[in-house]
Amino acid sequence: MSPGPAAALLAAVGMAALLADRLWSVAAIAVVLLAVCLRAPAQHRGVYLFGALSTGLGVLVLSPFLWSSPDGIVLWEGPTIPVLGPLDVTTTELAKAALNGFRLAALALAFSAYALLLDHDRLVAAAGFARRSALAVALATRLVPSLERDAVGLAEAVRGRGVALEGARGYATLLSPLVAGSLERASSLAEAMEARGFGRTGATRATRPPWGRAEQLALAAVPLVVLGAVLWL
Amino acid sequence: MALAALTELEFSYPGSLRSLGPLSLELERGEVVALLGPSGSGKSTLLRALSGLVPHFHGGRFAGRVVVAGLDTRTARPADLAGTVATVFQDPEDQVVMAIVENEVAFGLENLGTPPAEIWPRVEQALASVEALHLRGRRTAELSGGELQRVCLASALALEPELLLLDEPTSQLDPDAARLFLDAVERLGATVLLSEQRVGRILELATRVLYVEDGRLLLDAETSMARDWLATNRPRWTSPSVDPAQSSTRPEPVLALSGITFRYRGGPAVLDGAELTVGRGEIVAVSGANGSGKTTLAKIAAGLLDPDSGTVKRIGRAGYLSQDPGRYVVCETALAEVALAVGGDERRAQAALECFGLGWAARRHPRDLSSGERERLGIAAVAVAEPDLLVLDEPTRGLDPDRKSKLGRWLEEYAAAGRGVLLATHDADLPAHRRIELCVGSTQALLASELSVAV
Repeated sequence: MSPGPAAALLAAVGMAALLADRLWSVAAIAVVLLAVCLRAPAQHRGVYLFGALSTGLGVLVLSPFLWSSPDGIVLWEGPTIPVLGPLDVTTTELAKAALNGFRLAALALAFSAYALLLDHDRLVAAAGFARRSALAVALATRLVPSLERDAVGLAEAVRGRGVALEGARGYATLLSPLVAGSLERASSLAEAMEARGFGRTGATRATRPPWGRAEQLALAAVPLVVLGAVLWL
Repeated sequence: MALAALTELEFSYPGSLRSLGPLSLELERGEVVALLGPSGSGKSTLLRALSGLVPHFHGGRFAGRVVVAGLDTRTARPADLAGTVATVFQDPEDQVVMAIVENEVAFGLENLGTPPAEIWPRVEQALASVEALHLRGRRTAELSGGELQRVCLASALALEPELLLLDEPTSQLDPDAARLFLDAVERLGATVLLSEQRVGRILELATRVLYVEDGRLLLDAETSMARDWLATNRPRWTSPSVDPAQSSTRPEPVLALSGITFRYRGGPAVLDGAELTVGRGEIVAVSGANGSGKTTLAKIAAGLLDPDSGTVKRIGRAGYLSQDPGRYVVCETALAEVALAVGGDERRAQAALECFGLGWAARRHPRDLSSGERERLGIAAVAVAEPDLLVLDEPTRGLDPDRKSKLGRWLEEYAAAGRGVLLATHDADLPAHRRIELCVGSTQALLASELSVAV
C-alpha cells in the first residue's frame, strides 16, 4: 500500500484511541497496533516498542498518584505529601490510569508503525504543497535510529577508555554529547542538502505509480474509523 | 577559458585563528586534480569555497573571488551552483537525505527541476555507472560504508555536473571498494577535484596535483613533477612504511580468542570460529572488506561485546578506540576529553595531547577540530591510560601520511614497552608484526586466517 493512505489510516487509528472512552476498545486498538508493529524487522523495532510500552506503563503507574478521584473503592492509602496532598489509589483512578496508559501506548504504537513500516520517501513525494514539512518530519523520524546508534557509540567510546557507566546518572552524562552530536549531524545534513540544490525554485518530482484499490479503500476507511470511535467505542 | 577560477581567495571560519589563502588557481575542463595536504590544512575549506558553501553556509571572513562556470560564488548561492557543481562529502552518513537508494539519487534531480520523465532513467544510469544498480531498492540505512559512498557518488553523477568535488571519499572504504570508486571517477570525463590522504591510487588517476599546507598552496604541478616534489619535500606521501621485524620467540599473550562465534540479533553469523592471539610487544593488524567483521572482532577483543560462543582470555586492561571517534566526544575541552580516562589527571592528559601534536588544542572544544585532529584526540583519549591491550578500529581515517607515519612509530614504541596492540584496519601503511585477514566464507560465516608474517 502507498504510504500516504497508510499514514492517514494510522493517524485515524491513533485518533480513534484518543476519542474512544471504553477501556477494552482502547486496549484492543493498542493490541492491533502492536501486532502491526511486530511485522517490522526484529533488529529495528526494539527501541520503538520499548518507548511505546514503557510510556503507557509509566502513565498507568504514576497517574493514580498525581490525579485524585473521590469515587470508587480505596485500594491503598499512603502518606500526605506537601503540594500533592494525600496519596491514595482508588479503583476509579486505576481505571482512568489504565485508559490513559493504553491511549498513550496506542498513539506511540501508531507512530512506531509509521516509522518502522512506511516508505517515508514516497510520503514526502506525495506531500503536495507541504513537501518541505513532510521532509522535515521524515528526517526527524529517522533521528530515532540515529540517536540510538549514537548513544551506543558514545557509551562504547567511554567504556573503551576504561570508564564505567553506572546507573541512570552515568548514562545521563551522555545526554549532552548526544544532543551536540545530533545537532552536528543535522548541520552536516543541511549543508549537504543545500549543496544538492534543496530550496531552489522550480523543483519537480519523479513519477510514481498511481494509487490502487487498497489505497482508495484505506482513505475511505479514515473517516469511518474516527466516526466509529466517537459513536461506538 | 577555465571552468573554475579562484583569485586571491582568503577565508577564515567565524572565531577561528586558522585561515585559508591567499590562494589563486584555475581548474580546466576535463582535468582530474588531486588535492593533497595535512589534515586541518584547508583542503575541505577549498572544496567548500568552490561549491559556494563557503561563505554562504558557514559564514566567516571571505575575501577574493571564486568563479565557477561563470557564476561568482559571492552572489550565487550553493543551491544555484548545484548541478554545475556536485560534492561528495567525507562522511556518507551525514549527507544521505532519503530512505531508499533510488530516491536518494533522484533527490538532487528533483531539486534542480529535471523533467519528471527524465529522472528515473538518469537515476538508473548513475547507479549503473558506479556498479550500484542492484542497490536501487535498498534502504540507505542498511548499506555498508562502501555501498553508501558509491550511492553518494551516483547522486552527484546523476546531476551531470561540470565540476565534481570529492572530499576524502575513500576514507572509509576497503582497498577493493576504494578502487571501484576511483574507477568510476576515472570514467566520468568531468572536471574532478579530489581531496585525499591515501595518495597511491590517486596519483595514478590525477593529471595534476595541488598540495596545501597551513592554508597555503605549496604545489600546483603536473603529476609527474608532483611525484618528484613530494619525494623530495614530503617523502612520507610517496614511500610506504616498513613493518617491524618479528621476534623469533612467541611473546607472552595479552589476548587469546579461541573459537569465537558471534551474530547480531536476527542477523547472519558475523564471526564463526575466529582464532586470534596478541602477544606483549606485538602489533597485530586485522584487515578485510567492509562488513567482514573487523569491528565486531575488535569489540570482542576489548571486552565490549560478549561472543555467542568461544573463549576470551585477556591479561590486564584493554582500551578501545571506536571507528570515527570524532563523532563520540563527551567533554567540553580536548584536555577534559583525554583526562576522562585518568580520573581527571590534567598533567597526564596534557602530555598525551602533546604526544599526538594536539598540545595547542587543550582548551579547544573537540568539535571545533578537523576530522584528522579528532581522530588523534580519540587515540590520545584511549592511550593516556596505557592499557595492556590497545585496540584501535580504523585509526588512520583522516590522518595524512606524516601523521600516519608518526602514529606508526608511536605504536611500535607502545608495543615495545611490553603491551599488545590490535589494529582493525584496511590501511596497510600502519606497521604490524602480523597481519590477519577476515574472509567472507561461502555461507556468510567469516573465517580468520593468518595471511602473512612480516620478516
